[in-house]
Amino acid sequence: MLLDIFDPKAPPTPLGIDLGTTNSIVAYVSDGRPVALVTCDGTSLLPSVVHFSAEGSVVVGAAALGRATREPARTLASVKRFMGRGADDPETERLGSYRFAAATTEEERRMVRFDTGSRVVTPVEVAAEILKSLRQSALDQLRKVGGVVITVPAYFDDAQRQATRDAGRLAGLEVLRLLNEPTAAALAYGLEKKRNGTFAVFDLGGGTFDVTILALEDGIFQVRSTGGDSALGGDDMDRALAESLLTQMGATDSASRTPEVVSLVLAAARSVKHALTDAEHTEVELPARGGGDVRIRVERAELERLIAPLLERAGRACRRALRDANLAPDALDGVILVGGATRVPRVRAYVAEVFAQPPLTDIDPDLVVAYGAALQADLLARASDDVLLLDVLPLSLGVETMGGGIDKILPRNTTIPAGAKATFTTYADNQTGFELHVVQGERELAGDCRSLARFSLKGVPPMPAGMARLEVEFHVDENGLLAVTARELTTGVTQRVEVKPSYGLDDAEVERMLIDALDQGEGDFEKRRLVDARVESERVLLATEKGLRADADLLEPPERVEVDRAIARLRGVLGGESPGAIQAALDGLDAATHAWAGRRMNRAVQSAIEGRAVTDIERRVERAQGVEAHLAQHAGKAT
Amino acid sequence: MVAGTPSLFADGSRSPLSDPFETLGLAPVFELDSATLERRHRELSRALHPDRYAGRSSGERQQALGRAIEVNEAFRTLRDPVRRAEALLARHGRAVAESGGMPADPALLMAVMERREALGEARRGRDLAKVRGLAWAVREREQRVLAEMGKAFVQLPPDFARIEPLLGELRYHHRFLEEALAIEDELDEKPA
Repeated sequence: MLLDIFDPKAPPTPLGIDLGTTNSIVAYVSDGRPVALVTCDGTSLLPSVVHFSAEGSVVVGAAALGRATREPARTLASVKRFMGRGADDPETERLGSYRFAAATTEEERRMVRFDTGSRVVTPVEVAAEILKSLRQSALDQLRKVGGVVITVPAYFDDAQRQATRDAGRLAGLEVLRLLNEPTAAALAYGLEKKRNGTFAVFDLGGGTFDVTILALEDGIFQVRSTGGDSALGGDDMDRALAESLLTQMGATDSASRTPEVVSLVLAAARSVKHALTDAEHTEVELPARGGGDVRIRVERAELERLIAPLLERAGRACRRALRDANLAPDALDGVILVGGATRVPRVRAYVAEVFAQPPLTDIDPDLVVAYGAALQADLLARASDDVLLLDVLPLSLGVETMGGGIDKILPRNTTIPAGAKATFTTYADNQTGFELHVVQGERELAGDCRSLARFSLKGVPPMPAGMARLEVEFHVDENGLLAVTARELTTGVTQRVEVKPSYGLDDAEVERMLIDALDQGEGDFEKRRLVDARVESERVLLATEKGLRADADLLEPPERVEVDRAIARLRGVLGGESPGAIQAALDGLDAATHAWAGRRMNRAVQSAIEGRAVTDIERRVERAQGVEAHLAQHAGKAT
Repeated sequence: MVAGTPSLFADGSRSPLSDPFETLGLAPVFELDSATLERRHRELSRALHPDRYAGRSSGERQQALGRAIEVNEAFRTLRDPVRRAEALLARHGRAVAESGGMPADPALLMAVMERREALGEARRGRDLAKVRGLAWAVREREQRVLAEMGKAFVQLPPDFARIEPLLGELRYHHRFLEEALAIEDELDEKPA
């Protein structure tokens, strides 16, 4: 068995990563089942904390957490809250021990930067350190790692998604896909239990809350609606309880609420919350005002009273998600719990009330997202057609119009990948350019929404107002990432502008940081490019050969000659040392197979419409029997 | 033009990415069975979703992405009765722009204005039940318009003289319902 694992010819193992606010987890699939890997801390939960020491070393996980109280500025926790955020974001004003670096240039204002004393770092770089640590753990145990699926909250906007993908690239990972956390959780449940139906995922993490309604039918998970509150989580429960404890300690004024006292009481609140998961009451000892200790007894009912307003906020998001999906609560076939905060008994009871049924709790709520990510990574790597995930755009995308309003081009809850074209015109006579401002959010005014990008289209000949026609096209890919193009139509002057992110990094910046990182002892950048180009080539060659076995009849004889020639050319340069030559040969193969690929897609469409192959149907029958067996087993357990 | 000031004027026009009926391989009819539409969308997603092309060349992935986007946009278009009617009118070479339509029936305009006033009043009075009641009445009215529109589209050639004003009315109802939902959310969010 061990020999199998370390077989040098074994394919690399795809990974699923839950990059969490509080903890991060890496998982993979073994014999069809997801397994969480042990991280550098010896457990599967790696605290999402990074310490930058004065000597220049980087420490991740429990060891970093241990240094948080002594060197708070050098120790960064909960950076997920800052992913894709600008230096002036309101998030930077919430309670925390961060020291922010002053932004002097426009470029620096685009992204939060932490001053750790010896080094200024961005949230992307901090997240990359967590990902590097997880990658190293996986390498140690699996030897060869393949592409990764990284999960993001369903509510993450484009800038936050871009930042997460950049962190993955910076950590030297091939990011196959960004996957929404609730969808990942549903995948973990759906695959293992083989159930069909409509489900709700209630995800209450450390800092965010998400609710997603999705349907599983014919092996396709389709998200019906999603909603949430990006500033509601288990941390808020701790804060509410800490506030009550501080009052009971007599620490009512700001003078007695020193950072040391607040952090002590917050930690006490967290342990009280955990203790009350099983116990009806607990006691905690805290320093009293004016010296000595005070013992405070906390009843579970007291905690429940304190968190009631928080649950009410979550409940509203749930009702809205149900309404957006056109469903009554009792129409759901199951409710899945995700996130450590769902361990609180009152949360479970509340979920049962809102959705009129007890939630499913079979899978550990801390691991379920990583499991789903691992399953998706495995599906993608195997090009499996067992399950397909259809996610939605969480927040509307639009363009700012005259007067600060918004023209929504893609509304929230649109299935992705998505695209739409809208036409605009000039407002003033002889206007020779367009200023395009892309925003994301539900508010009516552009100033209240998230600004994603600004760019201008110039060189429009002077025309009376309303004559020029600007066509704006939005494309959102399967990861929820946006690309915008704009063209001026009337004059035949067709210009195409690729959107540049206002927040986050552009490709050149990521490349530069990657070179810097590699220069610091992780090997040569050119060597990395060569390895990447070879891996990509091997995969494309494999896929092309598989395609030739299945659909060679769709190639005209001269095309076949071209394809064979392009394959031979790629094989010829693959052993060489030039990544550029390999890339060129790869592009050549791409061009030679373009028309054929289109015909193969048409065939796939035809067979999807005309009904599936017999073997496929048989497999589905087997699966249906699996469902029955599972339900019978479940019924047996219940009696 | 002041630099940095968006100077775009939205006329509400959208250009379809493709003919949605052709993209989904469905007969161009107004009365479309929603189960059939959903099944077809799933079948085509199964064939074209980018996840199915994860191991392929970047060109092939791009091609699949473009086609999957067309499929999803066609699905979104046909699910919405207003956009479905617009797509059918476009197939007959009729103008679909909102502003280019003929003037609305004065009686309809009057009724719309009265309902909007009532909605505004309910919002000011924070009367959630009233907001829901108004939305319910409009939804009922919308159903009647849809049924009438279905009949007008079945005729060969379709009865455009009837369809176009009905489409205008449908748009009013749509906007009203959107606004009512937004008000419901607002009242739910900040309870008095």
